[in-house]
Amino acid sequence: MKVSMQWLRDYVDLPADMDLTRLSYDLTMSTVEVEGAEDLGKSFDNMVIGVVEKIEPHPNADKLRICKTDIGGEIKDIVCGGTNLYEGMKVAVAKPGAFCRWHGEGEPVEIKETKLRGVPSFGMICASSEIGLFDLFPFTDEGTVVDLSAFDAPAGTPIADALDLNDVILEIDNKSMTNRPDLWGHYGIARELAALYELPLKPFTPFDRATVTGEAVTAVVEDTERCPRCMCAQIEGLSVKPAPFWMQSRIWRVGMRPINALVDVTNYVMLATGQPSHAYDCDRIHGPITVRRARDGETLTLLNDKALSLTSDDLVIADAEGPVGLAGIMGGAKDSILPSTHSVKLEIANFAARGIRRTALKYDNRTEASSRYEKGIDPERCQQALDLSMQLFRELYPDMQVTALVDIYPKALAPAQIDVSLTWLERRLGKRIPNEDIRRKMELMGYTITFDGDNMHVVCPTWRSTGDVSIKADIMEEVARMYGYENFEPTPITTSFTGAINQLEVDIDRKIREYLAFRCGMQEIFSYPWMEEQYVNAVLQSTDGILTLATPPSPAERFVRSSLLPNLCKAVVKNERYYTDFAIFEGTQIFKDEGYTSPYDPAEKLPLQRKNIAGAFASAAKDVTPLFRKAKGVIEMMPRYTHMEGFTLCQKEKPVWADNVVWLNICLGDDIIGNLALLSKKASMGCGIKNLNVMLFELDVDALKPFRSRTNTFTHLPEYPMTDYDISVLCDGAVKCVDMVQTIMASHNPLLRGVAFVDEYRGKQIPAGKKSVTLRLTIGSDEKTLTSEEIEQCAAATIKKLVKRFEVELRSR
Amino acid sequence: MREKLDALLREGLAKIEAASSEAELQDVKAFLLGKQSPLTALMKELPKVDVALRPEMGRMVNEVKTKLTAQMDERRNDLKMKASEVAEDFDITVPGTMPPSGGLHPITQMCYDLNDAFRSMGFEIFEEPEITSELYGFDRLNFPPDHPARESMDTYWLAGHDQGHGGDRLCLRPHLTGGSVRYLQTHKPPYRFVYPGRVYRNETTDARHERAFFQYEALVVDKDFTFTAGKVMIKSILSKVFGRDVPVRMRAGFFPFVEPGFEIDMGCLVCGGKGCSVCKHVGWIEIMPGGTPHPNVLRAAGLDPDEYTGFYVNIGLDRLVMMRYGVDDIRLFHGGDLRFLEQFR
Repeated sequence: MKVSMQWLRDYVDLPADMDLTRLSYDLTMSTVEVEGAEDLGKSFDNMVIGVVEKIEPHPNADKLRICKTDIGGEIKDIVCGGTNLYEGMKVAVAKPGAFCRWHGEGEPVEIKETKLRGVPSFGMICASSEIGLFDLFPFTDEGTVVDLSAFDAPAGTPIADALDLNDVILEIDNKSMTNRPDLWGHYGIARELAALYELPLKPFTPFDRATVTGEAVTAVVEDTERCPRCMCAQIEGLSVKPAPFWMQSRIWRVGMRPINALVDVTNYVMLATGQPSHAYDCDRIHGPITVRRARDGETLTLLNDKALSLTSDDLVIADAEGPVGLAGIMGGAKDSILPSTHSVKLEIANFAARGIRRTALKYDNRTEASSRYEKGIDPERCQQALDLSMQLFRELYPDMQVTALVDIYPKALAPAQIDVSLTWLERRLGKRIPNEDIRRKMELMGYTITFDGDNMHVVCPTWRSTGDVSIKADIMEEVARMYGYENFEPTPITTSFTGAINQLEVDIDRKIREYLAFRCGMQEIFSYPWMEEQYVNAVLQSTDGILTLATPPSPAERFVRSSLLPNLCKAVVKNERYYTDFAIFEGTQIFKDEGYTSPYDPAEKLPLQRKNIAGAFASAAKDVTPLFRKAKGVIEMMPRYTHMEGFTLCQKEKPVWADNVVWLNICLGDDIIGNLALLSKKASMGCGIKNLNVMLFELDVDALKPFRSRTNTFTHLPEYPMTDYDISVLCDGAVKCVDMVQTIMASHNPLLRGVAFVDEYRGKQIPAGKKSVTLRLTIGSDEKTLTSEEIEQCAAATIKKLVKRFEVELRSR
Repeated sequence: MREKLDALLREGLAKIEAASSEAELQDVKAFLLGKQSPLTALMKELPKVDVALRPEMGRMVNEVKTKLTAQMDERRNDLKMKASEVAEDFDITVPGTMPPSGGLHPITQMCYDLNDAFRSMGFEIFEEPEITSELYGFDRLNFPPDHPARESMDTYWLAGHDQGHGGDRLCLRPHLTGGSVRYLQTHKPPYRFVYPGRVYRNETTDARHERAFFQYEALVVDKDFTFTAGKVMIKSILSKVFGRDVPVRMRAGFFPFVEPGFEIDMGCLVCGGKGCSVCKHVGWIEIMPGGTPHPNVLRAAGLDPDEYTGFYVNIGLDRLVMMRYGVDDIRLFHGGDLRFLEQFR
């Protein structure tokens, strides 16, 4: 919201030398966030009133003329193409150094002394759009310069002075005042400043109801729930004309557009008091205005030409013939103020916030009025709006008459009353604030305070009683912010020690991430909680059991994450452009359309949600083996490195996305808690992966069983040397490594301390269907240093076992 | 003879000292002690010396020989220690081999930094389901029934679960605070916990707005806990995370689940509070809302608001990380682009 300092000064006498930085700071700290302050006058620097003394033709251009212009004590030649120039005209002269927008467009450009078609020109005679004043001085013909002859200011007067534009406009963050309906107008902000600086707040001049000349019923309210108060004044002796410049100027500087005096008065009143009002042309309204629910199917065309088909949930202003306005939101096209309007029904009403928001949202038609009503305006404010409206109409139309006035207000708003214990207040604030200090500040804000022992009885002003202030915590806030949050000394935090923090499930999550990132060289990524259709189809191959969003970011992204793999594959595709070898992982929750229970409340029906972690290893290398082993190693080592119960890898159920051969289930006991597999060619192509092989794993983190503490055990270091003994054997391609190792270890040879896989090889020198496998035997004794004969014997026995069981052929030892 | 020996010794020691490599030293040895050396020549002359002087002369010759040999050994040792295993043109500017190249997401890093800081102050870490119900997303948090955030324009409701009310109406959590109530319900006061997580809003995205973003909530509930203690808490945490004294200010703010509510600003670390483009020239950066839990929120958790109070903050993790690194587009966090993520190792 934009707030004019000049306007505020109508209501509170701020010191003339008020430091604006200080004011912005104080408002920000105690009330609302001031996002910026714009010095309006500054944008008119180096612009003055000029009087065109003489107009001469330009020797080299038909459309340009040379204006001998008085800019205050000196006559300057200014070349100008203005089509409406005349001798004696007062114009806006931008002197060298001023900033203007060429033809009202683009960034402001500095004016310099220059020659136009060979004739020197001292600055520029401006169009209104070139100095940012188009809304105040609109024109239709290109080439019209602004005519300021109506202003009583001699040549040389700075434009800002002549047009009374020396003002500072504060920009207030709307978000910071959504809870303060009382602040949505200049008067509300002025009230806050008056309290902050302990200055008096000026009241509006009350309208004398005795001056109303007639008693006609101008309004009827059918739904007092949705319309707690409705005033309607019938005003005659009006006409449609421009509002006075000062009024237009104020409306314009806080961001609205002046239209005509009748509309401008209602806008001005809203900007001043925060109370919207609406003027209906009496000639176009039949009978009194009625505030009622619309009937289903009734139609209404709004001022902005939007045609609505109404429902009974919508509140309308209607006349005898039907709806003429959407209550609290926008008037209808039918009741528009026309050039011929000479009398109006002025509606100043209070509408309940909830219904206004609902209707404005439904028709996607939020307005300055509806956004104010949505906050919950105090019905008492109608009176302020009436007072100010009448004062303004009287000023603009001295002969106007109020011929009727109704004020339907069946149930006056009760001010909120709150009792606050002073001991409680002190405990919560950490400080005792003297009663009189509290009273003085609170009364400046409109509260009535009475003390009775430890109790402080607070009666809230009506403008804070629409839900804004309702409990003692609210009062504590009022006291604290007016005292100044910065004036409370820091207090230390006290605590009682009950035990160390020990959260295994939190720690295991972090350990796994750190393991994958730091030990395994994988990069953590985050993706959205929705999956794109293409990847769901490619990877999961079915949308069964997947939750969907009611209003997804895009139709293709309606699927709620049921697996981490589709988004991982999407990330693989994205990174394939720049990388040929990479590994990524993501850990977060997945969701399934099942379960529907909650440990927190029996009424809550939450779907199944599990924390998962998944990874992708991608490589452009043709041979899948290294990629497979890398991924498998990460999974195999995870339990040991992250300190949890170990899992096994086995083949029980092939994941749909997996290659037919390269797949494993990750099992804990009998349960499958994850998968590790090569992404199948089909799925890979479906994702749009071009040249990469991708090994994926997924793991249900909630199923893991972290150890309570480390379980490493100490083994004595060998006293006698251990020998590594490599053997390479040629065997059938189908022989499994795990079987060979098991066979070797099953011999229970006491000297054979271990066996490890080194590598396998197929290709040149190896017959088709065969492979060469290298194993490393560890041979040693706890009792002595073995002789080479003993070592050879042990190795020979091992080889013999392999030959017997798998018909291997020894290649080397 | 004695003079000759002395000269020989001086000359020999100088040559040994001058030798700059083992090879040179070998040449010096040959020169000094070899078959053609003056010392050998002297020794050959010994038999010709007068018998009475011979033992004395022999002793002197041996002494010189011993001294030179010892000096050469010492010099050889010195040269060995100074020598290299490799050729002199070994290129030490060749880069090192990369260790495993993975890393945590910059958001996770910040989250862990905060976890460590809060845990050092005795806070637990809590997590809750990301799909929540209207009951915990709004009802129990003092959101009025007509609060705009309940409309689909702000919240991602689940299809088929977007009608109805309370526990049946499901959405991707729009904020974390509902989870706080879950914690309060299942634990015993006093409470001290943090609650990191991702939240979702149905918004149009641009460089500063995302549909998914990270929050980090901290909540203390105790019998006496003033907002000034909350300020001390925030200042301690931020100072630890950023490794320097961070000025903190609290100003008026409004959020449905706190009363009183604050906007908490931290001094701009880029300009040190002088004003710069990062802090929009005010010297302060809005970093989190906070306040005292609203009595209705405490009641929803089964606590008596007259007895209990506390302090709550909600830190915008994305913004904090953006400030830490100068990231200017929030959408990069969910982009999964390694070229971005690799920068934060």
